[in-house]
Formats: sequence, structure tokens, C-alpha cells
Amino acid sequence: MTISFQRLRRELFATPLDGLISLVLIGVLLAAGSAFLKWMLFQAQWTVIQANSTLFALGRYPIDQQWRLWLLTTLLALATGTTWGLLRSGSTPRWPRNDLVAAVLLIALASAGTWALQLPFPIQLRWWLISAGLLVCRGVAGRFGSSLPLAVRRGAAVVWPVLYLVGMVLISGGLGLMPVPPSEWGGLLLTLLQSSFAILLCFPLGVLLALGRRSELPLLRWGSVVYIEFIRGAPLITLLFLGQNILGFLLPGGLAPDRVWRAAWVLTFFAAAYVAEAVRSGLAAVPSGQLEAARSLGLPLPQALIHVVLPQALRVALPATVGQFITLLQDTTLLSLIGLLDLLGTARTVMANPEFLGKSAEVYLILAVLFWCCCAALGLGSRALETRLNTLHTPVKA
Amino acid sequence: MTSPLMIEASGVEKWYPNGFHALRGAELEVRQGEVVVIMGPSGSGKSTFIRTFNGLEDFQKGSITIDGITLSDDIRNIDAIRREVGMVFQQFNLFPHLTVLENLTLAPVLVRKRPKAEVQRQALELLERVGIHEQAGKYPGQLSGGQQQRVAIARSLCMEPRIMLFDEPTSALDPEMVQEVLAVMQELARDGMTMVVVTHEVRFARQVASRVVLMADGVVVEQAPPEQFFTNPSHERSRQFLRQIA
Repeated sequence: MTISFQRLRRELFATPLDGLISLVLIGVLLAAGSAFLKWMLFQAQWTVIQANSTLFALGRYPIDQQWRLWLLTTLLALATGTTWGLLRSGSTPRWPRNDLVAAVLLIALASAGTWALQLPFPIQLRWWLISAGLLVCRGVAGRFGSSLPLAVRRGAAVVWPVLYLVGMVLISGGLGLMPVPPSEWGGLLLTLLQSSFAILLCFPLGVLLALGRRSELPLLRWGSVVYIEFIRGAPLITLLFLGQNILGFLLPGGLAPDRVWRAAWVLTFFAAAYVAEAVRSGLAAVPSGQLEAARSLGLPLPQALIHVVLPQALRVALPATVGQFITLLQDTTLLSLIGLLDLLGTARTVMANPEFLGKSAEVYLILAVLFWCCCAALGLGSRALETRLNTLHTPVKA
Repeated sequence: MTSPLMIEASGVEKWYPNGFHALRGAELEVRQGEVVVIMGPSGSGKSTFIRTFNGLEDFQKGSITIDGITLSDDIRNIDAIRREVGMVFQQFNLFPHLTVLENLTLAPVLVRKRPKAEVQRQALELLERVGIHEQAGKYPGQLSGGQQQRVAIARSLCMEPRIMLFDEPTSALDPEMVQEVLAVMQELARDGMTMVVVTHEVRFARQVASRVVLMADGVVVEQAPPEQFFTNPSHERSRQFLRQIA
């Protein structure tokens, strides 16, 4: 990846006109870049972020209960490190280059990030410890993982659904913990909760809808078609308002879920229709002979779908489905319009504070970076999964 | 010849949803251990006919009884028949996301609820029988067409069917791979498997078939032992067909 001077000259300055265009473009880029850097380093006032970092992260989550979130973060970090290590166990070298890069990035984030936010020292220390715990788990699991039986390594995946439920309890309370109502969740916490809830539930729902749309039973097929087309024909914001207002009227008093959960369900049902279309394209890519072969071996339809058709269809549908998840994550910003304090909603309250008037550029830039990080993580994860599935088997020649 | 009737199809009529009248009263009786080869011009309904035997195609009139079970719309009934009837397709239809061994063991473990270790042992024996046991850990996409079709045959056999249906098993193969598949089928016939084979392979029909059946325009035109069928057919339609493939 060395850029040779010769090549630059050939590609950018082949003719005088080319050279002129290149010079102008480079000049514009340099000017814009330096202006941005100057603003970022000297003019922007990052105190708005530093002073409100907790608010951005958690909203108005009660301070005396925040230890629960620290505990959850620690558990998540340990589980992440262990899973990462188990996935890499048995690989040589023990730390492949990508893993080293990730580890260095994590260390940089834990030290520079906490310093830039000017967090109090005890809090900085916590982040360092959590990051260290993650890396230690990665190292230990990577070192000794291959000596564990395969069943144990596969079984370790169960940790994640369990952790999700534990996380729900830690966040919302119950089982002896002081309850924290959803109206006090906010910021990044609410955004991640809403999107993870919707992503987890919209996927199975979307698969069922896609299967329903291809079903031979007219009622099921038309039901799915009407649902999918209705949802896809309505803007999400309308559905969110509908969910907030109508559900309260339709369901008797206590039955209507809390505003936050109402929004989560609307997001789920909304995304399910789009996931269904992605899965449908995957189903269409599986030759009909596959189902026929499975059926003629005596597999009942559900088993034929689960073991033969869906594994192939979902692999095809994976990129489009993850694209849908990313959209869903970004769509959570609409929650601020119905008065929920998600990341954007929290940001708007901060910017409305007279103390921080005129600091919107700083706030929006940080929001963009945060969202970019989450979406990039989803995208990276899906690409890793894709390559893993693709190396697993080569497709059959038709 | 008093071996039991395995397939009894009478007056089978089928219309496709587009109105095409594919089967117009097709009849066939197959006794245990017989190898019946169905020939006929394309569009004569031979594939459609054998696909009705295991319920892959429905039909509107007539009746089909497989190994004593009469085909009806009842799904349990169709699943029961499919467990006893193996099918090999023109396009192999192996499961590309599973290894060769997993292709074989999937149905016996899920449908017959047999212990996995035992099924794996049987599967490896079957793969050895069709000559590809050293490929058990590969994926179908890594095998040649002939190898894939032999895996497909082994996959059906792993369910221990009482009848095997072959729907043009060699039509999608490169010429040099046809023989290896036919050899496996011939051995199967020698072991006494009841087989119905749709094919254009005259040599296979001559050597292996107990009976050759000619279908045209959705009906069975002629049935005869292979020697008689190929040297002295009694129907004009058969003579016309034999002239075309000669």
C-alpha cells in the first residue's frame, strides 16, 4: 500500500487541465479540513459535552442506582472479551493483526476518551478496569479456549440471552432492586435498549411474515401481504404517533404499556415488515428443488424450513437485514419527536439549556460520531459473519 | 410373479393451475423388486407422473396406492409415504450448506429419530457403497456432478426406503459421469430394490429394466419387457419414439 510519486503524478496531473482540477480540489479539501480542525481544536467548546456526559449516556437515571449500570457494563465487557477469545481460540498467532488493532483502539479509547471527557478520576479508573477486564478475558479465553470441549464453547453463546434478561432486570429493577420506571431511562441507554429490543424481536417476526407471504394458505398469505404493505406504506413517525395516542384509547387503562415500551413495540412491528421483505428475497433465492428434496426425504414442512430452506435463505438475506437493523438504530432518533429522551431527545434538552445555548454544532458532531460507532459495529459484525458463513461452504453449481 | 404390489396408480389425471392437462388417465402397477423404466418424449408427463407417487405433485382424478397406503390430502399420510419412498432428482438437490455426511444423516435423525452415531456409521457405509466415503466431510459444491448424484442416491438410501424414484438422474451430468451413476443404480437394482426410473438411457433400460413403459401425452402407451420394447414394439407411437432417439 505504498503510494508512489510516479503514480500520483500519472493519475492526478496527466494533462494541464487534469492538474488544474486536481489542484483546485486539493485546495478545497485542505481549506475545509483545516477550517474544521481549527474549529474543533480552538473554537469549539467541549464543556457542553464534558458537563453533560452522564446525561448523554443515561438520561435522568437516578444517581444512587447507577451502580447497576456499571455492573451491567462490566458483565457485558467480560462476556464480550470471553466470546471474542473463544471465537479466536486455537488461532495462530494468538493475537492476529486485526485483534491487535482492536485492542490498541480499546486502550486508546479508555485512556484518551475518559481524559477528553475530563471524567473524575474514580470514574476514569472504572473505565480502565473494565477495558482491562475485557482484554484479560479475551487473552485467557483465547489461550485456554481450545482445550475446552466443543459443546462447552458452543454453549457459551447462551450467556448472551441470559445477560440480556439480567440487563433488563438491572436496568428496570424488580427482584429486590428498586424499580426505575422507563420514563427515567434516557440518552444512549434508551437508544441502545430500544434498538436492541426491536432488532431482537423484529427478526423472528420478519421471518414469520416472509414465510407467511409465501404460504399456500390464502388467509395467512393475504394477512402477511396486507400487514407488510400497510406498514411499508406508512411513515414511521405517523405510526409512532399512532402508537402513542391510539393504544391508550384502545386498551383499557392499565393494559396499555408504558410510553417507552409502546414506542419499542411500534419500532419492532415497523422493522419486521422490512425484514420480511429482505428475508423474502432470500427465500426466493433458494431453488424450489431444495424444499422438494427435503420433503421427499420425509421431513415435515416446519423441519424442512428450519433445517434446509431458512439457513440458505437467511445467508442471502443477511446483508439486507443488517442494513435494516442499521436503519432501525438511526430511526430511534424519531423517538425524540414523540417526547422520549433518547440520545437526540437528551441532546435537544441540553441545547435548550440557556447555559449551553449556541453549542449545537459540538453536540450534533458527538451524536454523529456515537451513531457512526454503533452502526459501524453492526456493519463489521455482519461482514465478519458473512465471511465466516461463506468460507464454511461453497455454493453448489446449478 | 406374486410379489406384492408396491405402486398401484390408476386413472391419474392432473391439470396444472394454468389449465394444462398433463396426465390424462395414466396407469401403472409396480411389484416388489421390479425396475420399471419410463421413457417418452419431453412433455409426455413422465416426470409429473412419478412426482405424484410421493406427493410432490397433486392430482385431480384417479387413485395412487403406495405400499398399501392410499395417497390422500392428509399430510400425515403423505409424510408416511415419503418416508418409504426415496427420490433422486435431475438437479441432485443436495443441501449446499451441509456436509456430505450431514446431507445423509439429516432426515434419519430428524424423521426416524434414530441415534446420531448409528446413522453416521450407516451413512459412511452407504458412501463407501457408492464409492465416495473419502468425501464425507466436504460440501456438495466441492464435488463433481457425478459424485453429487451418487451422494443424492446415498442420501435417499439412508432413510431405508422400500421404493426408489429416479427423475432423469443422469440428464444434468457431463457424459463421462453418466456411467458412474448408472453403475450405482444397477447395483441397487441387483440388490432387489423396487425402482421407477425416468431416463433416456437406452443401454440402462436394456440391461437393468424388468419392464419399459412408454408415455406420451399424459398416458401410458405401451408396457413391455425391454427386449420386446426395443426390437418389436406393438404401438406406432413407440416406433415413432424409438426412431427419434435412435
